[in-house]
Amino acid sequence: MKTIYKLLLPLFSIIILVGCSDDDNMQELTGEGIVKLSFDNAVGSDDLLLGSSGYTNSQNEVLTITRLNYIVSNFTLTNDKGEKFTYPKDDSYFVTSEETGETEISLTNIPAGRYVSVTFGIGVDQEKYLQGAEGQGTFLAKAEATNMMWAWQAGYKFLNFEGTFTSQSVTEPTNFKVHMGSHGSSLDNYKEVTLNLGTEALVSDEMTPIIHLVADANAILDGANKLSLSEQAVIMVSEEKSPKVAANVSGMFTVDHVHNGTGDTH
Amino acid sequence: MKFLYSILMLGVFMSCSNDDEYASFAENEQLAFTVPKNFPEMVYDIESNPPTKFGFELGKKLFYDGKLSSNGFISCGFCHEQRFAFTHHGHQFSHGVNDLSGTRNTPSVANMAFLNEFSWDGATSHLDLFPIIPITNEVEMGETMTGVMTKIQADREYQRAFEAAFEEGGVSTENFLKALSQFMVMMISSNSKYDKYIRGEDGVQFTEKEAYGLDVFNEKCASCHATDLFTDSSFRNNGLPPNPSLNDLGRAEVSGKASDNYKFKVPSLRNVALTAPYMHDGRFGSLESVLNFYTRGMVDSPTLDETLRNGEELGIPLDDEEKEGLLAFLQTLTDDTFINDKRFSEY
Ligand code: HEC
Ligand code: HEC
Repeated sequence: MKTIYKLLLPLFSIIILVGCSDDDNMQELTGEGIVKLSFDNAVGSDDLLLGSSGYTNSQNEVLTITRLNYIVSNFTLTNDKGEKFTYPKDDSYFVTSEETGETEISLTNIPAGRYVSVTFGIGVDQEKYLQGAEGQGTFLAKAEATNMMWAWQAGYKFLNFEGTFTSQSVTEPTNFKVHMGSHGSSLDNYKEVTLNLGTEALVSDEMTPIIHLVADANAILDGANKLSLSEQAVIMVSEEKSPKVAANVSGMFTVDHVHNGTGDTH
Repeated sequence: MKFLYSILMLGVFMSCSNDDEYASFAENEQLAFTVPKNFPEMVYDIESNPPTKFGFELGKKLFYDGKLSSNGFISCGFCHEQRFAFTHHGHQFSHGVNDLSGTRNTPSVANMAFLNEFSWDGATSHLDLFPIIPITNEVEMGETMTGVMTKIQADREYQRAFEAAFEEGGVSTENFLKALSQFMVMMISSNSKYDKYIRGEDGVQFTEKEAYGLDVFNEKCASCHATDLFTDSSFRNNGLPPNPSLNDLGRAEVSGKASDNYKFKVPSLRNVALTAPYMHDGRFGSLESVLNFYTRGMVDSPTLDETLRNGEELGIPLDDEEKEGLLAFLQTLTDDTFINDKRFSEY
């Protein structure tokens, strides 16, 4: 038995070596690693600073943002060969919160590879919701602690965006609240986006890339759909407006850059 | 002093030995669950949360525990009383913590495993997630899920009860919600006179009046109060004049659709003779008033159910004989077995 191994071993090594020489100018990526996604919240071209001086949008409304929390979920990474790796669904729900500084998420045990795009959802899909207690697991507590649960309806806020604003018609600083989620079984506001990474994100035993995404808070009200706070400052369960907010939010993300390396540097 | 202390300690030990009933998960067993013959298909996914002996007992303990509220007194059972088929009898609006009252009438908790929408407006479509609403509502229980879980985690008796009921997870939100569901899933009301008559059990017969009432009901009410659950689980506007001091929009509060204004879930009529007051805001104190409303009390609005418009007249025409028949029939929906079932009772 042992002698067979002894004979086979060199043979295998040759095969492996030959296999490697095919892509000799490419690094061999093996094992699995962590992919970090950093959500850098911004307003337009500026960094988002909660509670700091007003920011003027294209509708001439001046916003002071005090809260920006959103749920991201159901991550899938696609590699250069077009193969998709879907992150285990039960572990694929995250709240990112500017207030608490929890804006980076780590996806672990990602198979080695060269990833070219990322797909994720904003919010919680109906399939997950309808799994009841079993499906929510510890995410419920997380959502409650970060102001992402609605109390009057047992559902999630996908986006919690709050602050004060002034405009030509509203001269005193006035609170605004934009809470977006699905409306019971009546309206599903869960959306998915796919973003090209621009640079390949390299994952292996040694390589832990950080994907920096920019989330432009300006797009929430001032994206493809224009929503005026002067007209309505509290947008929660509006059949007309909340799908527009959902569409805007799904358009607020871009990949800014990817860091390849050991994952220690940003 | 020392003596007093020992007595206290003794008390503690004795109370510990009391909860030996939650022996261990190994002794847990699945409870039999049968869908009554005359019922539609079950909606609840029982495979993912099969009721067990200890899970059910835990759910019951939670249902009757005031710890779930901020003031420590208001339990689920405070508003959902068994004697009245788990409604809040005599209260138009449910009373919660700090004596704040809500704006809605407490519906019956029975046959929940067969419904796909919960509360008057369908604020959730999964039974497991329903308890979050009363627990976190400031006028009902005024707590947070995290707050409740912290209290429960600190309680030794609960720790043991959770361990015995669930193989994994111990005291967790998931198991907490599962236990409450197990209790509610088992709460089936299916042994009224009507059920026995329909299933041909025990030689139960309807009187002439009751049989006539059933015919009238099938002709005039069963389009909405459908199946042997007496609801089609849809949201409809049955023509109640909106209460101007509340202006409760019903389903539209969840959906945000103007076309859902003033639509409410069609309630089940099981045990209806016990569940006064009636309608989402508990405005009617008797079934006579309900029938008078159906014949002459409706108001028109853009979302009024089409079936309630008949030419010039609004409403459901009913003569005195038909009303009497209906009242007699509605009494047959009372299920004494259910309201006296020891498995569900607080004490
Ligand atoms: C303060 C009184 C109060 C308390 C306490 C309370 N409920 Fe209720 N319950 C209500 C009211 C009122 C409604 C209707 C809510 C609505 O339509 O908005 C309701 C509805 C329900 C329903 C939906 C019934 C249906 O037909 O749609 C269930 C299930 C339920 N409650 C279970 C519970 C459980 C479990 C608890 C404890 C965690 C609880 N309730 C605590 C008053 C109460
Ligand atoms: C068009 C659909 C429809 C028809 C037909 C209908 N109902 Fe209703 N019923 C409803 C809805 C919806 C409600 C709840 C309305 C609310 O609370 O705003 C309701 C409520 C009730 C209630 C109050 C139950 C409770 O627990 O509060 C009773 C009793 C009732 N209906 C009896 C009848 C009878 C008897 C008939 C036939 C004469 C009838 N209904 C016909 C839709 C209907």
